[in-house]
Amino acid sequence: MTMTHPGLPFAWVLATCVFMLVLSANMLLRNPAPGGTAKTISLANIPVLGAFVRGMTGTPVLLLLLKIAAVCVFMLIIAAGLSGSQIPERNIATVLTWNIWWTGLIISIFFLGSAWCAVCPWDAMATWLVRRRLWRRAHPNNSLNLRVPRRFRSVWPALVLFIVLTWLELGVGVTSSPYMTAILALAMVLMATVSLAVYEGKAFCRYFCPVGRTIGFYSQLAPVELRPVNTDICAGCKTLECYYGSETVEPCPTHLVMGRLKQNTYCTSCGNCSRSCPDNNVAWRLRAPSREAIQDARPHWDEAWFMLGLLALTQFHGISMAPFFEGWLLSVASLVDDSGRLLLSFSILLFSNLLVVALAYAFFTRLTQKISPHDMDFKKLFSRFVFVSLPLAFSYHLAHNLNHLLRESSGFSTLLLNPFGLNAQPLSMMEKHSRHQEILFSQDILFALQAGLIAFGFWISMKVIQHRGNALMPEAGWRLSPMISFAILVTGLHLWLLMQPMLMRF
Amino acid sequence: MKTGFCLVVLMVVCSAPAHAHHVLGRPSYSLNEDSTTPPSMQVETQIGDYYVTYMVFPAFPSPNQPGRVNLYASRIDNGAPFDGEVAFKVRDDSLFNDDEELLGVQLPDDNVFRQGFEFREAGNFIVRAEFEAGGEPYRIDFPLQIGEPARWGPLGLTVAAIMLALITVNLVQRKRLVSDKIRSGRQDRAG
Repeated sequence: MTMTHPGLPFAWVLATCVFMLVLSANMLLRNPAPGGTAKTISLANIPVLGAFVRGMTGTPVLLLLLKIAAVCVFMLIIAAGLSGSQIPERNIATVLTWNIWWTGLIISIFFLGSAWCAVCPWDAMATWLVRRRLWRRAHPNNSLNLRVPRRFRSVWPALVLFIVLTWLELGVGVTSSPYMTAILALAMVLMATVSLAVYEGKAFCRYFCPVGRTIGFYSQLAPVELRPVNTDICAGCKTLECYYGSETVEPCPTHLVMGRLKQNTYCTSCGNCSRSCPDNNVAWRLRAPSREAIQDARPHWDEAWFMLGLLALTQFHGISMAPFFEGWLLSVASLVDDSGRLLLSFSILLFSNLLVVALAYAFFTRLTQKISPHDMDFKKLFSRFVFVSLPLAFSYHLAHNLNHLLRESSGFSTLLLNPFGLNAQPLSMMEKHSRHQEILFSQDILFALQAGLIAFGFWISMKVIQHRGNALMPEAGWRLSPMISFAILVTGLHLWLLMQPMLMRF
Repeated sequence: MKTGFCLVVLMVVCSAPAHAHHVLGRPSYSLNEDSTTPPSMQVETQIGDYYVTYMVFPAFPSPNQPGRVNLYASRIDNGAPFDGEVAFKVRDDSLFNDDEELLGVQLPDDNVFRQGFEFREAGNFIVRAEFEAGGEPYRIDFPLQIGEPARWGPLGLTVAAIMLALITVNLVQRKRLVSDKIRSGRQDRAG
């Protein structure tokens, strides 16, 4: 029997709704002016933390050690998944991958941006296999260096793979199969290696990796960024080591020029730019979170769809773990005469959700277009305002994942003693009850955090609408009401989903 | 687009709160509380008008080890258990194999259809439960793994695929290098 976690209490939902309505009214009635200039703090200047940051950016050794550690854990997951117990709660492959890493990863973006990409084990293994170097630049780089075909030079491939990953995760149930988890891990290594051996740069990271692109887009809301210290130095730079690399340091894996960098989306935090810059002009710094989504990030059609996909798939995670989902699945299975694993019914629900989110956003964009004072191109409006979906998706994803991380990571210490789950039995009812009761800290704090995150996401989304709306239509005021309605609708749905009991993974 | 909307509306209308025991169509493992016997595997799913629960014991059967499948089917609308007969068949889960073997035909015993099995060889099999209700045929397939799965096969395949890719890239690079040398030699001679 599967346990369910209690949903967010009504009082918290009510408080968040009041906050939401006050903020929306303020936006519509007062139309406050967008914020001033961006303030940043160099991380290298912060005591204690600065030394670590300088160590990470100055020498590749620390990063290499972290990569080796990540690869060791990754190999343990593959070994445990292939040869360990197939009882998911007794195998480190499923618990570490889905209950801790996949949920913790999204939370880590909130603090560290795309730091995961810097230690990503499948990219590290691919690099070591193809380049045949641990950290120095390889001459030649042992790749065919072909250009990625034009039709794939976008985030569409990553979006498709993200949908596939969600389908495998929630539909096929990779999360409850150590064996399939290991196969998925191997598939990631294979795809990253073949891509690196065939295409120039790290095409897999830039165009294909669903994990990397999810991190990239969410990193627009992170409080850290890798940027030039002095933009004038970059403006005068003729050698562009950040882009081409140096004698010993690899070029930027995703073809970014530091002097023109405005958004974190494609930065993998590898630090090649900071190590290769002859002027030491690249540094990590703290910034106002979300400033990028609010105003700096440039709108692109394919990226707009990725952000909407992210919103829809994030919601679908919550929907598929709510008890009512079983009823939906049964209804669709009856309609389409599905049986067995109900994958067809699941796929219909997944794609319906993607369709509904896209149609809802398109509807509100069309309304904005109708009431705008000037002739506005629909595609332009669609791409500009879509950043509103990013904080909404991220805040809900964080709130949802907090449930997983805080309520489902108990019992991990016993797994460390027997990571393969050899001779282990499934959890007894008593153990399930006991794990269900265990939570890393008070449930009230969890509820407060969830409500706070949703309110935070809504607040950022209002700032996005305000800034991007006023940039498109000066004195936009009430004309922003369709987009505000979209944000209210989505936030309302997220609050309702959080109110539902959530099925415990295992 | 209209169809999509209709489908979503219909799904919302048709949905009713349900108490979830576990995720539909997904296997779950459980311990027998009253004994020290091995765990069992259960799957709940739906077919046509019936809600079906099947249980495989033991969850991970080995060759030459007796096991059994328990199947319980009840109508979705009124919960009435199915009381006809169920035929259990088995086939090798390979792409081009359609040869089925009849395991047995069972009548309900306290509303549960119990079918014993014993496989001599390890492998992946599909067990099919067939019954007829209201003039409609019902067939439900579920996978059954006998013995250990090909534990290191995927690892070997991945390593082989990576090696193949790296060797191919290396050969292409060598060919490119030779072509470049020939081209530059020709240019030198022409110059």
